[in-house]
Amino acid sequence: MNNLLFFLTLIAMGYVVGTLVEKRHYRSIRDRETKFLYLPAVTMKTVTSPDQKVTSAELVCGSAVISIDYFKRFLASLRNIFGGTVKSYESLIDRARREALIRMKEMAGDATVIVNVRIETSTIGRNANKKGVGCLEALAYGTALTLEQ
Amino acid sequence: MKYTPRQPGSNVNVTPTSPLRELFLLTAGLLGMVIVIYIVLGLAVDLIVPHISTDLENKMGGLLVGSLEAKDSDSKRGTHVRSIVEELQDRCARLPYVFKVHIHNSPTVNAVALPGGHIIVYTGLLDKVASENELAFILAHEMGHFAHRDHMCGMGRAFVFITISTFLLGTDSIISKMLANTLNLTEMSFSRKQETRADEFALETLYCDYGHVAGATDFFEKISKAEDPGKFGHYLASHPENRKRISHLENIIRSKGFKFGKPTPLPEPWKQFKE
Repeated sequence: MNNLLFFLTLIAMGYVVGTLVEKRHYRSIRDRETKFLYLPAVTMKTVTSPDQKVTSAELVCGSAVISIDYFKRFLASLRNIFGGTVKSYESLIDRARREALIRMKEMAGDATVIVNVRIETSTIGRNANKKGVGCLEALAYGTALTLEQ
Repeated sequence: MKYTPRQPGSNVNVTPTSPLRELFLLTAGLLGMVIVIYIVLGLAVDLIVPHISTDLENKMGGLLVGSLEAKDSDSKRGTHVRSIVEELQDRCARLPYVFKVHIHNSPTVNAVALPGGHIIVYTGLLDKVASENELAFILAHEMGHFAHRDHMCGMGRAFVFITISTFLLGTDSIISKMLANTLNLTEMSFSRKQETRADEFALETLYCDYGHVAGATDFFEKISKAEDPGKFGHYLASHPENRKRISHLENIIRSKGFKFGKPTPLPEPWKQFKE
């Protein structure tokens, strides 16, 4: 009985705290995305400007590790039984990737454009928690170019 | 083409959904699945049980022996109970079992049939009985469960339930251990039909052995007169209402023309025997 109570408390806490944290994170993501709108990050490998105009080119990367709350993990494990879209993980991956992109842009400083952008995702702490994906790392990297105006 | 930076209008990667609604849907689906599995496997058990040989059953019963014998208290009353069982089996209830009677020290007024011919008799029951015929009827009733393989059905369903809980929560989970402990007892309770059939079997055996049916209804009479229902709660819960059982037995006695004789008394220092 105590076990069940403990479990339900964790679920309820996971839901309340997890939802609050996620909302706050999304607010911050939207704010910073708006702030970095001036800096395009594209998957193209080159820019149309001639080479002489490129004053600097450097590797920039940003990575973010985001963990999932207990409630969503439970929801996902239920979903594992029946199959289908694991909706509870969608926001986790979305947040991680967008956060990584923003951090990459922060690293780029006053560059004009980031080309050849790639995003990679990997799970972390899988062995520590045998119940499946617990938290994941999204890594965004690209080449930041500064162009002569 | 001019580059105009802007935020995307909507997020296509995250499905707008209510996680609570999803939780309730999935949990309900899971519960439904467990219930269906339980019912289907329970039916399967009822179908399979008649085909399980007594050999296999004895082997399964062997798993229980250790824990049963640990609680065994050997006593003079136990020896007497064993001799009654042997006599019933030799003369009237020829069942393909080697019955092993276990006397357990407990105020519970009950006897339990377990796979492999194990009969647990609680000392609470031994304290209550007044005549040998009464005790023989209760023992024959338990033997009736063996004759109809009821105990296997009971075990089977309990087994299914424990399997499901271990599957969902794991073997180490305190919840499944707790379930296994409590379900053994509650799931061992038999359906009314099974009890009635065992009663009928016991009545026939009693008549066959003693030549009369004195003492057959004594035990139920005693329980229905008892003022404290809590004491007999377990027995009452697992057995149909005693009034109905008494009248059912009386109907059979009347229709078959069974006679009442003088009940055989228990050996004299019965009450003084202490385990």
